[in-house]
Amino acid sequence: MISSFLADPTFLEDMVRILFVFVLITAALILSTRNIASLLTVYAVQSLLLVLIASSLYFIEGNRTLLAIAALTLVSKVLLIPIFINIIGEKIKISRDLKFNYLEPTPSLLVSMGLILLAYVFLSGFFNEFILSKLFFMGAVIGLSLTLMGMLVIFSRRKVITKVIGYLTMENGVLLFGIFVADLPFIIEILIVIDLMILVLLTTILAIGLDSTSEEYHQRLQTLKIWSGGEEQ
Amino acid sequence: MLEALIYGAVIALISGTALPFLYRSKNARKASFSLSFISSILLLVFAGIVLYTGKEPVFPAFRFLPGLDFTLAADRLSAGFVLLIAVVVPGVSLYSVEYVEHAKGEARKDLQTALTNLFILAMLMVVLAGNMVGFLVFWEIMSLSSLMLVLHDYSSEESKKAGLFYFIMTSLSTAFLFMGFMSLFRLTGSAEFGQLDYPASLLTLPFLCLFTGFGIKAGLVPFHKWLPYAHPAAPSSISALMSGVMLKVAIYGFLRFLLSVSFPQLWWGTLILVMGSLSAVLGVIYALKESDIKRLLAYSSIENIGIIFMGIGLYLIFKLEGFEALAMLSLVGACFHAFNHALFKSLLFLCAGSVVHATGTRDIEAFGGLIKRMPHTAVLFLVGSVSIAALPPTNGFVSELMLFQAYFYSSALLDPLLKVLLIITLSVFALTSALAAALFVKVFGITFLALPRTKYAEEAAEATNPMLLGEAVPAALCIFSGLFSSRILVLLGFDLGIPDMLSLGLILGGACGLIWLAVRNSGPSESPRISKETWGCGMLGQNSTMEYSSAGFSEPLVVIFKKIYRTEISTTRTYSDTKESIFKSGTVRIHLIKFFEERLYLPAAYAVSLVSSQVSRMQNGKLDTYVLYVFIAVLTLMTFTRYYA
Repeated sequence: MISSFLADPTFLEDMVRILFVFVLITAALILSTRNIASLLTVYAVQSLLLVLIASSLYFIEGNRTLLAIAALTLVSKVLLIPIFINIIGEKIKISRDLKFNYLEPTPSLLVSMGLILLAYVFLSGFFNEFILSKLFFMGAVIGLSLTLMGMLVIFSRRKVITKVIGYLTMENGVLLFGIFVADLPFIIEILIVIDLMILVLLTTILAIGLDSTSEEYHQRLQTLKIWSGGEEQ
Repeated sequence: MLEALIYGAVIALISGTALPFLYRSKNARKASFSLSFISSILLLVFAGIVLYTGKEPVFPAFRFLPGLDFTLAADRLSAGFVLLIAVVVPGVSLYSVEYVEHAKGEARKDLQTALTNLFILAMLMVVLAGNMVGFLVFWEIMSLSSLMLVLHDYSSEESKKAGLFYFIMTSLSTAFLFMGFMSLFRLTGSAEFGQLDYPASLLTLPFLCLFTGFGIKAGLVPFHKWLPYAHPAAPSSISALMSGVMLKVAIYGFLRFLLSVSFPQLWWGTLILVMGSLSAVLGVIYALKESDIKRLLAYSSIENIGIIFMGIGLYLIFKLEGFEALAMLSLVGACFHAFNHALFKSLLFLCAGSVVHATGTRDIEAFGGLIKRMPHTAVLFLVGSVSIAALPPTNGFVSELMLFQAYFYSSALLDPLLKVLLIITLSVFALTSALAAALFVKVFGITFLALPRTKYAEEAAEATNPMLLGEAVPAALCIFSGLFSSRILVLLGFDLGIPDMLSLGLILGGACGLIWLAVRNSGPSESPRISKETWGCGMLGQNSTMEYSSAGFSEPLVVIFKKIYRTEISTTRTYSDTKESIFKSGTVRIHLIKFFEERLYLPAAYAVSLVSSQVSRMQNGKLDTYVLYVFIAVLTLMTFTRYYA
């Protein structure tokens, strides 16, 4: 019975659409959740959703690369990276990221709604000539807005660890966009994942070696006179 | 032949630049100036051939970068300005051989020598540049080498201020030129200088940008303020080059653009004419007030640049109104005035350099009686003063006469408004000429005549021979190009009906000779001669404090032009009684408002510093803020590409 569902493209497309909605919900949660453990869970769930989307697409299109991407994402983003970050979080004994820069959660949710709209408008102008099926177009829009929301997370949240999650969200957006529009070669996917691993490792060093918020990091840089930016010294 | 000449000159100047660094000795500096002298002779021949034959040689390109070729090209216009360089450089080179040795320290001497050569080379290359890229590159080299020369006395506060001022203005000039050339490039799709057959409305932006850019460099009011700062700070030989040649290079650039426009508009000509008249009259009025000799000469340069721009404006107006002959007369008049100004202004700066060196001060109130101590310099300075005051038979007279002639014939114009404009600017021009004459009467009189006012002037010594020789070259050329002006212009193909100065010169010379003979022979030889002191108003002896001072000489004019100088007089009084009738004490403060500096430059500078302090607040070193900027930039780009691209 499952195989009959998998062979039915309209069912699969509906599934993907529902998954899109979930992806957006996870993005909203990443923007607003204060507890780091749940943030990580949300991130892992988001990656899992991407795995599901990629595999659904495999059943619609039959492109093997998609399956490989799904596998890679499952191993790296659903399992390895969250575990890593969890370890960091335990070591530096931070369980919450309470404060926000520039945008509080509610306004940032509003802004991200605007972002989705902007992404839609932007891409609708861009893909006018190419005939992209509706589903793929939606995928591109969600991918782009996920990237932008990831960026929003980077500058609106304070702790380095949450910033990393923002960055990872951005990468998820790029992946989504790549799946639906650009057809990134698989090797690039692998390279990006390796980059992410290194990023997480570097964050470990920075977060443990220096303090846990980027502000304190900045202050330390200033007292050490390594980097004299601005005029406030 | 032409190729050999031009490459010879370039190679001589390059080796002249390198030599002082390679062999750091007095002889190397001498050799370096000899090289620039030789190059100027080669250039003289080159310019002569091109001007006479009308050949338009193009020399092979060096490739700077892929797609950016640099060709050397010459036509009659550029050859005219090469000639201008070639007549100023010999005098400056001869003068500098000795003059540069007065600089403090070996390193400064070497640097000054090398940079002088580099500066000459850069100006030459700007004039010969075949396209905009080469033009801008050498323009920058020219600006920077002259900047370093202005800063040669880098430890003094005055030099630093002058250098900063000059640097800002010259950068602004380059920025405007860059915008102008970019907009031309967008229009034509090529960086070559070529005929611009476009409607004038498309050329408005390039015109405004280039006019401003070249105007800043040439020292047009209100962008003139760098000149009176930079000239006193620079060595005199460099002032001679800057005022004599560099300002003309800016004029060359402007003419190069203007003459290539096929359909200019009338308002362009009007704008140029009005700005030129303003510069001319304000330049000379400010000069009258000045008592620093080099600053005074700098203001006088502004005046002359104004006259040249007036000629260019007249050319455009006459051309558009269909008076080709008058247009030609104005244009040739403007170019000839540029040439003449190069000669007499370099002469005056060189003489001023000698005087300043001999007395150790630039304040003309401290001079006086120098004709006794420095007779040769005095005579040479007099030649320069006579030329710049436009007295016949010198060259300054001829070029101003050409412009006046163009003005006089302008009654043929039909448009009444234009007529009014021309009459107004003509009267301004006439006023300028008269004031310029008064100015140089003052400078020469206060500096060289009467009794020395200070002990520096009493102890002044005549300049050495190489320096005098360097001054004599432009002086001789001033007289020569005055006497033979009509012949030279006919030889170059411009038969403009200029009166023959040679015969006028002979008549004048003869008249002077006769007067001299008459005075000499008609003395009261038979009557008994009584030799006694004149009545000194009861004073025991005449001394220098009884002389006309510089400020005293210009006082009547200062009173007339009080509105322009904007002197602010504020007084405070205190009284001994309550009814304010018995005066106790008081103060008076006379403050000269530096109009352009206080009303135009400083507000602009404050605005820039305000904006930049706001901008530097954006750079706060916080990662979050930077990511926010990136985020906003991405959103803006997305919106922009969606709706405008």
